[in-house]
Amino acid sequence: MSRDVSLGSVVRSEWIKFRSVRSTVVGVVVTLFLTLGLGALVTVLTRLHWNVVTPLQRATFDPVSTSLVGVLFAQFAVGVIGSLFVTSEFSTGSIRTTLSAVPKRYELALGKLIVLVASMFVIGEVASFATFSIGQAIFSGVVPTASLSNSSVLRAVVFAGLYLTLLSVLAFSLGLLLRQSAACISVYVSILLIIPIIALFLPTSWQDDMRRFLPSEMGHAMISTASVPNNFGATTSLVVLVGYVAALFAVGVVVFTRRDA
Amino acid sequence: MITVEHLTKRFRDTIAVNDLDFEVHPGVVTGFLGPNGSGKSTTMRIILGLDRPTKGQATVKGKRYAELRDPLHEVGALLDAKAIHPGRSARNHLRSLAASNRIPFSRVDEVLEFVGIASVANKKVGNFSLGMSQRLGIAGALLGDPEILLFDEPVNGLDPEGIRWIRDFFRSLANEGRTVFVSSHLMSEMAVSADQIVVIGRGKLITQGSIDELTASAKGSVFVRANNHQQLLNALRAKQGTVTEQNDDGLSVSDLSAEEIGQIAFDAGVVIYELTPQRASLEEVFMDLTSDSVEYGSTGVRRES
Repeated sequence: MSRDVSLGSVVRSEWIKFRSVRSTVVGVVVTLFLTLGLGALVTVLTRLHWNVVTPLQRATFDPVSTSLVGVLFAQFAVGVIGSLFVTSEFSTGSIRTTLSAVPKRYELALGKLIVLVASMFVIGEVASFATFSIGQAIFSGVVPTASLSNSSVLRAVVFAGLYLTLLSVLAFSLGLLLRQSAACISVYVSILLIIPIIALFLPTSWQDDMRRFLPSEMGHAMISTASVPNNFGATTSLVVLVGYVAALFAVGVVVFTRRDA
Repeated sequence: MITVEHLTKRFRDTIAVNDLDFEVHPGVVTGFLGPNGSGKSTTMRIILGLDRPTKGQATVKGKRYAELRDPLHEVGALLDAKAIHPGRSARNHLRSLAASNRIPFSRVDEVLEFVGIASVANKKVGNFSLGMSQRLGIAGALLGDPEILLFDEPVNGLDPEGIRWIRDFFRSLANEGRTVFVSSHLMSEMAVSADQIVVIGRGKLITQGSIDELTASAKGSVFVRANNHQQLLNALRAKQGTVTEQNDDGLSVSDLSAEEIGQIAFDAGVVIYELTPQRASLEEVFMDLTSDSVEYGSTGVRRES
C-alpha cells in the first residue's frame, strides 16, 4: 500500500491553511499596498522635482530602483506573512493536530516552505512588475525611463520579487526556531533595521566591508541596475542571500525536529 | 493496541512520567485516570510522537507514531479542543487535515454531520463554545476512520446531553472493535463510560484493570438496622465482625457478608429492619488510591460544601 502522507499531500494541506486565515490575506494586501503605493509616491515626487535635480544626480539616477523602492518597505509585510505561517501554529497549539496528521517534521517544514515560496514568488513578482510599470508610466515624458527589453532592467525587476520571496522564508525560518510571533517579528525587524543602524557607528572602513553582508543592502543591490558602491553585485547578493536563508531554514528544521511540540 | 513500556519523561527538574508500563486493548473503552498534573497529557503526547520520552517508549500497533504510514487512518486523537487556529472555519480546518492524509473532502462533511456541527461548518472556530470545539475535535479524530482513538479530557465543557452522547459514542466505537483510550480526572465519569482503567499519580502507575476488579478489591461494608443494636454488636464481635460505625440509625459492618450478618442476627434473636451491602464507590477508591500522589492538593483549611 502506498503511503497516504507525502510531500504532495502536505503541500495541498498547507495551501488550504495558508489561504484560509485572514492574516495571510491582510499581509498580501499590505505587501501590494506598500510596494505600489510607496513606489507611486516616490516616482511622483521624483517627477515633480526633476527640474531641480543636479546634473550629477541625474547622471547616477536609476529609474528602475527608484520605481522598485516600495519593495524595501514591503519586506516587513512579507516577513509577517512568513513568520505567522508557522508561529500561529505554535501560539494556537494547532501544531499538535498538524503533527498528528503529518508526524514527519521535516516533511511538514518542507511542505510549508513550498507553499510559502510558491505563493510569495507570485505575489512578489506581481508587485514588482506592477510597481515598475506604474513608475515608468509616471516618469514618462519628464524623467528618463527604463524598459524591460533591457536585460539588466528585467533582471532587477525579477530580483525584486525574489527578494520579497526570500525574506518571507527568512522570517519563516526564524519562526521555526523561535516559535513566538512577537519574538520572531522583533528579531526579523532587528536584522533589517536595527543592525544597519548599529553598523553606522562602526569605523567607516569596517562599515564599507560589513554593510554588503546585511540582507537589506543585498536587497538594495538586487533591485538596482547599476552596481551599488561597496555592495556585492546583484547576482552575488542573490546567491549570498539564498545561502543565508537556506542555512537558517536548515537550522530551523533541525531544531523543530528535535524539540517537543 | 497501544503499548507503553518503561516510559519516563523528565522536564528540567520534574519527572512528569516515571517508568510507566501499560497496554490499551481493542474492543473496550480504557479510561486513563489521574489527578491533574499526574502525567496523563504528557503520556498521550508521547504516544502521538509530539514529545520525546527521556527513557522507554510508546508504540501504536507495535510502531512508533512517526513510523505510521497513514497516521489519521490508524490513530485519531483529540488532545486540546481549543488548540485550533481561531480564524479558520471548521470546514477549512478539517479539509486541511483531510488533504494531508488524502482523505476525500466528502468525508469532512460526513464527520461534521455526525458530530452535529454541520450548520456552523463555515463559521470561524474562534467563536465556538468549548462544547462545539470538542465536537469539532472529535470530528477531526474520526476523519480517517481510525482503529485507535485517543481523547484527552473529552467531556470537559460538554453539556449533559453532550456527555451522554459521547459516552454512547465511545461505547459504540469499542463495540466496533476499536481501541478507545480516554483520559479523565473524574472517576465518576470513568465509572460509567470505561471498562478498563489505568490509574496514575505523579507519573507512576498506581493500578490497572477492569472497573469491576477495582471496586471488588476495595473494602465494602454492610449497613444494618435492627431492633437491638447493642445485642447485635456483641454477637457480631463474637464472630470477628468489625463495626466501623455505630449510631442510633444502625451499624456499619465490614469483614462480614450480608448473608453472614443475617445469620448471626437470626441466631442471636435480633430482628433486622434493614440490611444493605455498601460497595465503596469508585470515587472513594480513586481518592484512596491517589491520595498520596495529588500534585496540587489542598491542605489546611477545608471548606465543607
